[in-house]
Amino acid sequence: MYNRAIRGPLVLGNKSYAQVTSDILQPLDRGAPNWWKIAFAFALILVIWGAWAIYVTVSQGIGTWGLNNTVGWGWAIINFVWWIGIGHAGTAFSIFLLILRQKWRTSINRAAEAMTVVAVGCAALFPALHMGRVWLAFYIIPYPNTRGPLWVNFNSPLFWDFIAISAYLLISLSFWYFGMVPDFATIRDKAKGKIKRAVYGLLAFGWTGSTKEWLRYENLSYVLGGIAAVLVVSVHSIVSTDFAVSVIPGWHATIFPPYFVVGAIFSGFAMVMTLMIIIRRFYKLQDYITDSHLNAISKILIFISLIMGTAYATEVFVAWYSGNEFELFTFFKNRITGTYTYHFWAMVVCNAIIPQLLWSKRIRKNLTIVFIISIIINLGMWYERYNIVITSLANDYLPSSWATYKPTLVDIGIYGGTLGLFTIGVLLFFKFIPMVAIHEVKSVMRAGENESKHS
Amino acid sequence: MKKNQIIGVFDSEDQLMKAIHKVKDKHIPIHEVYTPFPVFGAIEAMGKQSRFTYVAFLYGLFGALGVLAFLYYTSVIDWPMNFGGKPSAAFPSFIVITIVLTIFIVTILSLFTFSIRAKVWPGKAFSLPDVRATDDRFLLVFDSEGVADSLTELKTLLQQEGATEIIEKEVTQENVF
Repeated sequence: MYNRAIRGPLVLGNKSYAQVTSDILQPLDRGAPNWWKIAFAFALILVIWGAWAIYVTVSQGIGTWGLNNTVGWGWAIINFVWWIGIGHAGTAFSIFLLILRQKWRTSINRAAEAMTVVAVGCAALFPALHMGRVWLAFYIIPYPNTRGPLWVNFNSPLFWDFIAISAYLLISLSFWYFGMVPDFATIRDKAKGKIKRAVYGLLAFGWTGSTKEWLRYENLSYVLGGIAAVLVVSVHSIVSTDFAVSVIPGWHATIFPPYFVVGAIFSGFAMVMTLMIIIRRFYKLQDYITDSHLNAISKILIFISLIMGTAYATEVFVAWYSGNEFELFTFFKNRITGTYTYHFWAMVVCNAIIPQLLWSKRIRKNLTIVFIISIIINLGMWYERYNIVITSLANDYLPSSWATYKPTLVDIGIYGGTLGLFTIGVLLFFKFIPMVAIHEVKSVMRAGENESKHS
Repeated sequence: MKKNQIIGVFDSEDQLMKAIHKVKDKHIPIHEVYTPFPVFGAIEAMGKQSRFTYVAFLYGLFGALGVLAFLYYTSVIDWPMNFGGKPSAAFPSFIVITIVLTIFIVTILSLFTFSIRAKVWPGKAFSLPDVRATDDRFLLVFDSEGVADSLTELKTLLQQEGATEIIEKEVTQENVF
């Protein structure tokens, strides 16, 4: 049970239900603020750059990327894994915390899920483009075709990945959407304009809030929550098998699935932190996303950071303990020292060392520093994927085929484009969708009230 | 569909629950309760139960067996391929796809089941007695016909339990368009 006497109320300011509705809906009624327009314009420029890069890629082929015979996976795969990792936040937040009945998730899960949907969409772009002939991408769908029928290779992790990502995208999208249906009904019933009422009314699916609907709604969310919890673990495990099932030194390690899953949740939570601080700052939702929420996320970040540090140490230890000369070379001559030293140590410092600052309560309370740390973590997670993908490929078994890797403007452009796409998605979310789940907050804002009266 | 309804409007969950219990003690049939967020007491008091979890389990069973059968058919019966001499019926590598697709199938079928059973879908005509129910009011709704005998008793009871308003009106189906 939530103990209000110890932890304080989940929603500050002793609000009435009507106040909650109007507080959360006010960004939807107002025109877009200036910072929003500037951010949107900036993101649009990035998207245009990305569109150019995609045009070049599709019309000329992936030879325009910095890849070569030796390094066959470059920025595209790094970014793919990075985005999928960020996309784990929504599911981790809403589903794990739903199952654990953590009431504080209610102010955050909507934004986290929105982030998931956009991030997974960005991620899916990379493998599709990496296929080279993206217009033949449908070949990966196993359907009775006229090519035999020739089925796909069901034993390949690359195919598992396709299934996992598509399922994850559709499931998180529907989970997010059904979470919003009651809130759309609220907007519909409060709307003054005819068009707004019609649009949100259509989205609200004729929701009224009768017990008949709520009963099934609650059941649906627990069933979906329970079953999708498996997805949080499985999606990034499958992504890790893309690497772990190969025979490349530094990749074929059994630690990969848990290591990837934890890393994904780490970057996801860091991105949630970044977004929450922005939402609080610009939309004045401090009463809903309280200091105690951010404090809780900070503590989770320290915990995961420790796991990440342990995982890095384990990898290095196992490389040494195995006595395998290729593993030894990869870790000691090619990561800790060597050409890619910078990326290795950037990863360790950003992910395992800097987040330890959050042990200090004073730092946890200083949101500027917390904001910077959350960005650093995401940067660090990007370096981690760089470290995994590039170092192992560039220098593997045969020194004669060693090569170095450098991204081209096209590589960087696609990445920039997805950053822009993500920003635009999040900005549209700010403008058109209630950022905090109104009905969920209402249902927990009085949590623990009776107990505290007695104590 | 036009019906006369009596609506008790409440400001808080607690008052609503007290009123529901009082009304049930008097055996007055409640038509429906509308709340801005799920109130478990009200769902329970309406005597509603759901078999959703059982249905979801069946979907899962169907999904898992279906996917396994599909994988077996494609990789063993229809077009077996030799990947480095490994057996075509490679059960361990079917597991991942089976898990993920089962989750997918359960989700999609559950959503459709929810949509049909709770009667919510795009463009559905709905009847909401009072629009404030999706904001901050709790509605306890009775059918006029059902409570014709105890109308005055019901009204005093609702008033005693703190209903801020008691509305009697014809509730019609409406559509957003």
